[in-house]
Amino acid sequence: MSRLRKEQLVGLLMVSPALILLAVFFLYPLVNSFYMSFHKWPLFGKPKWVGLDNYIFMFQDERFWESLKFTFVYTLTVTPMLFIVALGTALLCNAKAWGTTFFRSIYFLPVVMSFATASYVWLWLYSEMYGVIIYALEFFGFGGEKKNLNVWKTGTSSMWAVNAMVTWKFSGIQMIILIAGLQAIRDDYYEASKLMGASRWQTIWNVTLPLLRPSIALALILSIAGSIQAYEQFVIMTRGGPSNSTKTLVMHTVDMGFDYFKLGPAASLGVIIMIILFVLTVIQLRLFRKNY
Amino acid sequence: MRRYSSDWYWYYAINYTLVIIIIFPIYWTLISSFKKPSELITSEPTFYPHDLTLQYYDQIWNFDRLKRLQDTETEDSDSAGVEIESKFRLDGEGVKRPFINSAIVSAGTIILTIIVCTFGGYALTVLKTPLKNFFFLLVILPILIPGISLIIPLYKLLKDLGLTNSHLGLILIHTCGMLPLGVFMMRNAFNSIPSSLREVAMLEGSSELKIITSVMLPLAIPGLLTVMVFAMYVSWNDYIYAFIFINSPENTMLNISLMKIALGGSQFEMKWGSLTAGSIVSFLPIIIFYTFLQQYFVRGVTGSAVKE
Repeated sequence: MSRLRKEQLVGLLMVSPALILLAVFFLYPLVNSFYMSFHKWPLFGKPKWVGLDNYIFMFQDERFWESLKFTFVYTLTVTPMLFIVALGTALLCNAKAWGTTFFRSIYFLPVVMSFATASYVWLWLYSEMYGVIIYALEFFGFGGEKKNLNVWKTGTSSMWAVNAMVTWKFSGIQMIILIAGLQAIRDDYYEASKLMGASRWQTIWNVTLPLLRPSIALALILSIAGSIQAYEQFVIMTRGGPSNSTKTLVMHTVDMGFDYFKLGPAASLGVIIMIILFVLTVIQLRLFRKNY
Repeated sequence: MRRYSSDWYWYYAINYTLVIIIIFPIYWTLISSFKKPSELITSEPTFYPHDLTLQYYDQIWNFDRLKRLQDTETEDSDSAGVEIESKFRLDGEGVKRPFINSAIVSAGTIILTIIVCTFGGYALTVLKTPLKNFFFLLVILPILIPGISLIIPLYKLLKDLGLTNSHLGLILIHTCGMLPLGVFMMRNAFNSIPSSLREVAMLEGSSELKIITSVMLPLAIPGLLTVMVFAMYVSWNDYIYAFIFINSPENTMLNISLMKIALGGSQFEMKWGSLTAGSIVSFLPIIIFYTFLQQYFVRGVTGSAVKE
């Protein structure tokens, strides 16, 4: 056996674990999710071809539209919150000042906590009567005389409560992306801007932000894609309530599959989520390619 | 701006305020987990614990032992029942077993990921593997489709393979999820090593495996650490897979067992005490990793998000 031949064989052998894992736990489920979405899955017996019935069932289901709507409302509200905090902290950390490394590592700290743990932590902060945030809000006069403020009472207040947690937990990632973008801006631009007598805000508005556009786009797409996959934070903090008003698309899929055992419609929901995320990721990769 | 203008006072004032806001939820959880029940549940919150107690940690960690004790005590002596009950009234869940389960899954994911990604990255960079570019594209394909959209077929697959309710199933799924970033990082790491090093080792008659372990890997440690830290992050912090694929109490993962504490509990103070203690327990391993391997963490976590 020639040396080249041997090297080729060794190479194939070495890459095979990755390829096998990929085939079994990614490619097969990927194909199967389409197959499953076109079949009816009775508890016993063979699956039956039903064409688009699962999709029709899903689209006629009011809960699907409610969860889709809620997921979009959540995405549209949490994205600006995340972005403003991320941009602010990125600008602060990009200053030529003592301590920026320390500040950056603190601002990134909540990112390493799991979404689940962060949700439990904030559940305690929001806890009825004894939560410290509730206490603070009541101190500042929210909730009226009776002191019975409960953020989980309405869907809207629940969503904002979760949004605050997500902003705390997740803006660090976007901050890092924006800092990378900021560091790529050459000093000449700032010097030119200074020479022209621009104020700091004018510089940020007219020099920094336009040059930062690729990173901003990337951060926004990331936040949108992440929000569409929202699951843990709502399962743990609101459990979809009150009266299903904070149920996300992924939660609806999980309920459909594992509470009602409707695997067909659940698989078709998975396909819908997949298509939405696929489109977003393609946009994201294009942005990334173009600008880095 | 070298001079100390008022701008800099503002700069640090804003930064330190933000630091306090970011740290506060973690600090509050930490001190809550050490407060006595009477101090924990009060309308006048205290900003540091006046009386330290480890009772919540004791309860969630030694839950099974305390439960057995409680059961036997109440059976044996009815007369002293009231007193013992108040002493050992247990709520919620133990986290010792789930903690070990999560540790097993994380360790398994880290080890398997490192092996698979090292070999994969090596074969797709250094060696003259046929169809190299095609395989590489295949391996990074999953970044286009997040695993969350495949939960239903994945559940079916695990069920057919008999891997639901097992640690191995979770480990395999997490490792597969790590492939794109892991192989990518290892490929980059190997790419930056001059090929002459390998040629010298080959002339000395070293086998390919020997070259990887003794020549290439020591030079690829930053890449390796990034992959390792990210594998830890993904597996330790997972919730949805652990929730769907595991359904027996003895195999529960840590994050899921905390949910049981959050849902249950007739005693308000014990529930919140246990939940805050449990949150700290689940945060501890990851914060230790973060403290020592911060730069790899930042690179791994944002790298995964950016999907370079």
